[in-house]
Amino acid sequence: MARNASLALAIGVALIAGYAAFAAKGWQWKAALFPLAIGIPLCCLAVIEVVCSFRDKRSAEEPATHGSALPWAWMGGFLALIVLLGFPIAIAVFVFGYLKLQSKEGWVMSTVYTAVLWAAFYGLFDYLLHLPFPAGWLLEWLGLA
Amino acid sequence: MLEALWEGLLLVLQWKAFGFMLLGIGLGFWVGLLPGLGGATTLALMLPFIYTMQPVEAFAFLLGMHAVVATTGDITSVLFGLPGEATSAATVVDGYAMTKKGEAGRALGAALASSLVGAIVGAVALAAAIPVVRPLVLTFGSPELFMLAIVGLAFIASLSGEGARGMVRGFIAAGLGLLLATVGQDPQAGVARFTFDTLYLWQGLDLVPVLVGIFAIPEIIDLFVRGNSIAGNAPPGKVAKGAWEGVKDTYRHFWLTIRCSLIGTFIGIMPGLGGSVAQWMAYGHAAQSAKTPEERKQFGQGDVRGVLGPGAANNSKEGGSLIPTVAFGVPGSTSMAILLGGFLLLGLVPGPDMLTKHVAVTYSMVWTIVIANVITVAVCFLFLDRLASITEVKGHRLIPVILVLVFIGSYTSNSHYADLLVTLVFGGVGYLMVKADWPRAPFVLGLVLGKIAENYLYISVARYEAAWLTRPVVVVLIVVALAVVIYPFFQMRRGARG
Amino acid sequence: MKRRQLLVAAIGLAAAPMVMAQSFAGKTVTIIVGYKPGGGYDATARMLARHLPKHIPGRPTVIVQNMPGANSVIAANHVYNVAKPDGLTIGTFNRNLPIAQLTGVDGVKYDITKFAWIGSAANESTILAIRADLPYKNFEELRKAKETVVIGSTGPGANTHDFPLLLKDLVGVNLKIVSGYSSSADIMLAVERKEVDGRAGSFTSLRPFIERGVVRPIVRARSTEPGIDKLPVDESFAPNPRAKAIMALRSAPELVARPYVMPPKTPAEIVKAMREAFARTIDDPELVAEGKKSKIDLEYTPGDQAQKILADVMNQPKDLVAEFAKYIKFGE
Repeated sequence: MARNASLALAIGVALIAGYAAFAAKGWQWKAALFPLAIGIPLCCLAVIEVVCSFRDKRSAEEPATHGSALPWAWMGGFLALIVLLGFPIAIAVFVFGYLKLQSKEGWVMSTVYTAVLWAAFYGLFDYLLHLPFPAGWLLEWLGLA
Repeated sequence: MLEALWEGLLLVLQWKAFGFMLLGIGLGFWVGLLPGLGGATTLALMLPFIYTMQPVEAFAFLLGMHAVVATTGDITSVLFGLPGEATSAATVVDGYAMTKKGEAGRALGAALASSLVGAIVGAVALAAAIPVVRPLVLTFGSPELFMLAIVGLAFIASLSGEGARGMVRGFIAAGLGLLLATVGQDPQAGVARFTFDTLYLWQGLDLVPVLVGIFAIPEIIDLFVRGNSIAGNAPPGKVAKGAWEGVKDTYRHFWLTIRCSLIGTFIGIMPGLGGSVAQWMAYGHAAQSAKTPEERKQFGQGDVRGVLGPGAANNSKEGGSLIPTVAFGVPGSTSMAILLGGFLLLGLVPGPDMLTKHVAVTYSMVWTIVIANVITVAVCFLFLDRLASITEVKGHRLIPVILVLVFIGSYTSNSHYADLLVTLVFGGVGYLMVKADWPRAPFVLGLVLGKIAENYLYISVARYEAAWLTRPVVVVLIVVALAVVIYPFFQMRRGARG
Repeated sequence: MKRRQLLVAAIGLAAAPMVMAQSFAGKTVTIIVGYKPGGGYDATARMLARHLPKHIPGRPTVIVQNMPGANSVIAANHVYNVAKPDGLTIGTFNRNLPIAQLTGVDGVKYDITKFAWIGSAANESTILAIRADLPYKNFEELRKAKETVVIGSTGPGANTHDFPLLLKDLVGVNLKIVSGYSSSADIMLAVERKEVDGRAGSFTSLRPFIERGVVRPIVRARSTEPGIDKLPVDESFAPNPRAKAIMALRSAPELVARPYVMPPKTPAEIVKAMREAFARTIDDPELVAEGKKSKIDLEYTPGDQAQKILADVMNQPKDLVAEFAKYIKFGE
């Protein structure tokens, strides 16, 4: 896993640095200097790392990292909820959903926990600080916003 | 000077001023603790309330609040691996690692104690430097500031993993950070660099969403997969007891803590370097104090020195950064800018007057920093065991709160949904880096210093052409930078020999 | 007959304020600022937010929200396209946004003339100031200078950069512009260090330094304030009408220095009510006193006037705009 992750990162960086140097060539020299001066050596270093990573022996199988797709799903889902429903509702839905489905808590615990957390969030960030929390695309689309 | 010092103290100890300071501390406690409650937004909200106060009362309030943020910001860093403030990110690296080993109490104790030391050192430096501060700051022009940025970047070498391979990875990470720092409109030609036609990227990548993503998200995933509590399988009861151990650690590594405090103060005094640099340089310096490669490897796994360094530096920086704000009207950060607004509101014009006519008010600020931190640290120690025992709660029960804090913390800088996406993307990058054993600190350093280095380089060349390289302070800093880069190789040699 | 008419009229008159007062009572008016907290636009907005409720019928709550990004283009886009025209959203943003629209900047999704204009809360006067210990005491001497005078700036798009740039390129003053400073306060520090010889900027921000004797004002743009009205205007040194037009175009937004708008298609009565509220607030003695302390000088320019000034800006001939765009880029 370490080897694969290193490989993935190194390839990613090489691509990014290569693209950056390429894009910078077309700019005025003042804007292009730094990206070029950094991008080109960076690309070289990254390629070196790619080569070295390839030649790394695959170490004995490390503890399986299966199940690490699930947290990403939860986090991505939370983001989607925020965009679709707006922060306040998304927080309530996510927290409750997570406690029930993932953490498998009881109804009372989930409800009270969600209520307290939501009240704290609302009281502080919305009521006191007036931070802007737009309504959420789904609600706007449905005309409920 | 002594009379002014005494006068300043008396000003703070008046009932009303003291009361307002306590109020400020109460607020600052939560501001630092909770990501998303940035020092800047809340300071802006507090400004209207200071109208009816006398200058000293108002400062006791504002500063009491501000001085404490750097202290409590370390708490979330240590407990959850989630930086409460951008300036508390470096504390995550070893602080959270210690927590995972079940040493949350010790890490918190160390973070708080070193914060107190840092605050005091910063305040003392502010007080002592007042006579010489103007010539000092005026000596550091753009060439010198560029070299300081280079010295900061030189710490990459110390922050990288061990061995040649580790160095390569460290430099790649730093290079990536530097490259990403160029995103946005450049101040020389006005070219929109790497913005891919989006408005969002015009002003570049915001630091907070990136930091929150790259540090907190991999830990959340790890916690999720493990399924148990943050403290893992530590024996119950051990977690909370370590607080005194943490304090003793500060004493054991006293000189390191002092040196890191001085680094923080110095960086704070330099206007234009930004608030996030000091902690990483201090961390790099702390890593250099390891005497053998095995010891060096411990950094990142939970070495208490990795907590002491940044913990001290991010507090001492506060005292330091008051200097350019007070003496020159040049705020070193957004929260300083708001503080400056408060100054003007109260009729105090920053400049030489603050160091001569109104020097007692300046000294009262010094005292406020010291007293506020003493009170906060004392109070935190009372609750420390309860705080630390959070880490024994089942992970899945904490994850919703942490994730909510992560997303809010990332959103509130700009109120832009794209920041949330940035957090997740860099969460992915951070996750890969952790799995691949790539160091993340150099990346942050590159991101933070990139713009500063570029701008000051252009200014230096435009103004002085090649002559800036021969300025005395620049030469000194070149030597320092070289020393900082070479030191880890020297360390490795020494370890190999012994 | 007469009495009944009088009665009806009396009831109508009594009811009218109630009808007006209905519009905002119990509501929250949000001022969206296109910058982070701490800057001039934010400070002005917060000061207004504190005193507006007294003067808006119904005494609503007025709050400030920050929506930074893309030099406030994001905020402007939001107020133009997303916010509802119900009088509960006000926007304030970069005064140079008309220039962004004029020079065809990518991402501009607003038409500055189509906002429901409340007006401008202040005027800005841009001046160029150079270090007091330099031998040039006025513009004529500066013009004849043999040595290059170094001017520090933050970057294209800011008046620290654009004002001296036009003096250099159009009038031929021997200036060198060094960009990249993070803020105008940093430039002042560089002036004190003798790293640069001067800076351009708003009179308000330079005044403390002028009073302290650090710098001396040399030339100003068209918009003026007491204290600098004796200074020569940059346009008067323009070598030809085109150059003069370019300078005038650059400084036009300064007359609408703190723009306050509402979304397009906001009903006329609401716009009128807001304009009156702003005018009264800016004259409010408490606000004036606060402004004196924090050195924020507010002056109301009514919305229709602001709209006209900006409509003129947008109506410039294409070739002038093309020439203008060679010098002035939209940035800060």
